[in-house]
Amino acid sequence: MKERKRRIGRVIGLMILAIYTIAIAFPLYVTIISGFKDINDVFTIPPKLIPYVDFKPTLKPFVWIFSTRAGRTFIDSLICSVSSTALAVGLGFLSAYAYSRYPYLRGNGEGSFFFLLTLRMFPPVAAALPVYLYWSYLNLYDTYPALIWTYTIFNIPLTVWLLRGFLDEIPKSLEDAALVDGMTTWQSFRKIVFPLLGAGLAATVALTWVFVWNEFLFALKLAGNRVLTYTALLPQMRVGQRVQWNNIAGIGSIAVIAPIIILILFRKYVIRLYMAR
Amino acid sequence: MKAVKPKRLGRERLLGGIAPLIPTIAIWSMVGFLFPWFLYMMFQEYTAGAMERPRFAGIANFIKLAHDTRFWTAVGRTAYYSGVGTLIQVLLGLIIALSLIKFIKSDKLRLVLLIFYLIPMMISEAVSSHIWLMLATPQGYLNSILRSLGLPALPWIGPELALTTIMIADIWQWTSLPLLIIYAARLSIPQSLYEAARLDEASDWMILRQITLPYLKTPILIAALLRFMDSYKFIDKVLLMTYGGPGYASETLGFYVYQVSFTYRYLGYSGLLGLVVAFGVAGVLLIFWRVFRGGK
Repeated sequence: MKERKRRIGRVIGLMILAIYTIAIAFPLYVTIISGFKDINDVFTIPPKLIPYVDFKPTLKPFVWIFSTRAGRTFIDSLICSVSSTALAVGLGFLSAYAYSRYPYLRGNGEGSFFFLLTLRMFPPVAAALPVYLYWSYLNLYDTYPALIWTYTIFNIPLTVWLLRGFLDEIPKSLEDAALVDGMTTWQSFRKIVFPLLGAGLAATVALTWVFVWNEFLFALKLAGNRVLTYTALLPQMRVGQRVQWNNIAGIGSIAVIAPIIILILFRKYVIRLYMAR
Repeated sequence: MKAVKPKRLGRERLLGGIAPLIPTIAIWSMVGFLFPWFLYMMFQEYTAGAMERPRFAGIANFIKLAHDTRFWTAVGRTAYYSGVGTLIQVLLGLIIALSLIKFIKSDKLRLVLLIFYLIPMMISEAVSSHIWLMLATPQGYLNSILRSLGLPALPWIGPELALTTIMIADIWQWTSLPLLIIYAARLSIPQSLYEAARLDEASDWMILRQITLPYLKTPILIAALLRFMDSYKFIDKVLLMTYGGPGYASETLGFYVYQVSFTYRYLGYSGLLGLVVAFGVAGVLLIFWRVFRGGK
């Protein structure tokens, strides 16, 4: 009797997992195949879901993407995300190190740390208008510096929070010992702090990069003409008589490749990084 | 005799005092503008383009807010969208995380499934919005499947369903987060507890109620909090899928701020609204924490 109940429970559990898997997979699958469709095959009744059986796959959308401005939007996204990640992690490290090692100094207390976190919690939509006006006053609207610097500032709290956590795990005594042994400050960083921080630092860089790569609202409001990220391009592609859903799906498919690789590489850290968000 | 070297800048002063000034200055280069802007604007009346310059309005914006039915309707919609959405995401995440651990015996398969379930979370909101729009648009995939099964098409982004459709898209994308948090927390429960329970011949249900759920209480709360705040904060899906429409049918609080700021350009009022929304987050956080954690 009990055994039988167990088995029923198992079957129900596996069924729930199967349904959930399909529910997660279906939209992804549809997006990927739509990127390989001719526009006439995208929306049909019944839907064309199986390549080679229902429709003949084509590379047209990808050819379109890389032969037009759309391809360049990935470059713009890359420029903005790489530079602001580098800046945010670099600046964040300076802060994180001070918070972690010298919390007793003025300015490194919990109060200022909490202030940083409030900046993180501030809704982007509330900040969007003043930030937009800020860059307009400076005559930098729709330029790389505007977008890069905005991303940097809004991501510093994230990197500080993460790096501080990783730094706290490295015993201070190791560094002290190195200094007593006559290492310079720079040597102690190069030989002790950075190697021990290694994976944590890499994960911080990777995930911060993903957040910036994926960002939409600031990309839309602070740029969108001369500087155009792929996220801000998508809504522009819906203007017009016939929406080219296959091209949109193609851009989406390309855009998620790097984040998925990062997810697989840094799976152990993903939880920590998303909880800090 | 060796000359005494001039004392160099101490490590403590350099790394603890001077270095962190650089990021602080960087942050204040923008925040130093934002804060005064909010504090100034909330007492002004200023419609960009229509007025020469801001006019001092005293507490007029506050009175306007109190009588702004569109604002209060948006509050209600946000409560539904964020509240119900968060509840479903956390419950679903809990069910999937626990099923994954209990019913999938192979470690490799479990890891593969977990990573697969996390993929939606890594996708840009801009892309996921378009994925779901492609499914939900009137002639989109969902309707074409319904039609080919002989069922009537549903107005997924029509007035009645729009907000719910956005919520479903959110659930699809963000159940991953509670799932991951709960999964990790469940794995950190000491295995010995389960072995002891098994020796006592406790039923699965008893084990779930007496061991697993009490242990998972805090992670569940954290997951709920994170999800609630994010869905309250981010407007990407509303903006991209329905633009708050049809009419105002899917206008959430965040999107109302967007409209006031960028469409109507009521700069003064938007300053107040922005602050209210920002501190709304803090308020919600505080209430949430008091209710669930302070109670005991």
